[in-house]
Amino acid sequence: MTVFARIAVLWAVVLTCATMSVAAGATEIVTLHTSFSPEKLGASTTVGFGFDIANADGGIPSPLEGLSLHLPSGIDYLSTTLGLAICRPAALLAHGLDGCSPNSRLGFGSAYVEVPFGENSAHEIPDVQALMGPPHDGNIVVVFYADGHEPVYAQIVFEGELIAGSETLGGSLDTAVPLIPSVAGGPPVSIVKVRTTIGPAGLTYYEHVHGHTVSFHPVGVSLPTRCPLGGFRFSAQFAFADGTSTTATSTVPCPRRR
Amino acid sequence: MQRISRVSSATIVAVLACIAGVMQMYGAGSASAFVSRSLALKEEAKLHLTSKTGFTLNEQGVVVGTVKGTIYIHLRLTSNSSVVSEVNIYPPGGSLSGLGSASYHVDGGFAVFVGGLAVTRGTGSYAHAHGSDLRFTGTIQRRGDAVAVQLSGLLTV
Repeated sequence: MTVFARIAVLWAVVLTCATMSVAAGATEIVTLHTSFSPEKLGASTTVGFGFDIANADGGIPSPLEGLSLHLPSGIDYLSTTLGLAICRPAALLAHGLDGCSPNSRLGFGSAYVEVPFGENSAHEIPDVQALMGPPHDGNIVVVFYADGHEPVYAQIVFEGELIAGSETLGGSLDTAVPLIPSVAGGPPVSIVKVRTTIGPAGLTYYEHVHGHTVSFHPVGVSLPTRCPLGGFRFSAQFAFADGTSTTATSTVPCPRRR
Repeated sequence: MQRISRVSSATIVAVLACIAGVMQMYGAGSASAFVSRSLALKEEAKLHLTSKTGFTLNEQGVVVGTVKGTIYIHLRLTSNSSVVSEVNIYPPGGSLSGLGSASYHVDGGFAVFVGGLAVTRGTGSYAHAHGSDLRFTGTIQRRGDAVAVQLSGLLTV
């Protein structure tokens, strides 16, 4: 085989792989949203995180099965005081938020869920809470608690594991999302929108000081003192029940100099 | 008079022999004067945060155990699962310095690290100190960054 023939074969393989990759993520279209509040280098912040899922054909998107959120490097999520208590998933399922210490709360938000009923569908907006779970293999575990009431009454607990990144403290939050049946034996609901936070905004913790209970605000993850070139880049891989997957990215721009 | 001289000669010989023995024992005047011995370390220390720079916690406290004194630790988080440490202990009459690395994980209100430490240098009474297989463990109280550490193993001094 000549050199040109080898190159041609190589190109054919590359193009085939590229097409397969696009096809793997062609059914659902995902938009990732990220933010910092406040946007101040070197300071504690609350990370805003959300996504929108749409079906390319305009129908209900396939149910989300897994999500891997890659965090930008340089963010210090180790020296925060978020999650000073552990929330056990069993206690959460049994008693709701009352089953866990307020000091285990990491953030909160909501979701928008499409619930298929026969030919039609309804929507539901469950509250979403993020809490510090029991560590797994030395990794931080985030427990998500979704509390929906109408039209489907369901409380769902699922977990994400923070996998170590490099020396620069990047990492990924890998989350398996359970399929939630609309009705017994019915098709699962589809998550189409999520907005949540990880950070001290809106959270109050408590501690005992000299016999008194004192409230305080936890310290959030801290932004580095220098902004990475091009801003803070997040990316997330989404896996769906129909076997497709797609990747979305979002960049929080560098704060303006004051 | 003759008797006294004999006694004096014997005394001088004895003293010279004694000095020679002592010199041989301690190798006086030579570089091989040091005689090493092992010290079984079993230390505990409680430290408080003095400053924080990036991913490094600078801590100061008091160590008790086989060696007692002031202890300074610099803990640098290198990922969400590892930490490296520089430890300096100042007992009376000298100092000990070491470098360590450990695995690290957060467990609610505490972060826990477990690993090893090597004593890399010393001064004064510990000028010849070395030990490379010391166990170094501890906890960091996430609210306030107070640290408790344990150090154990054989140290050659």
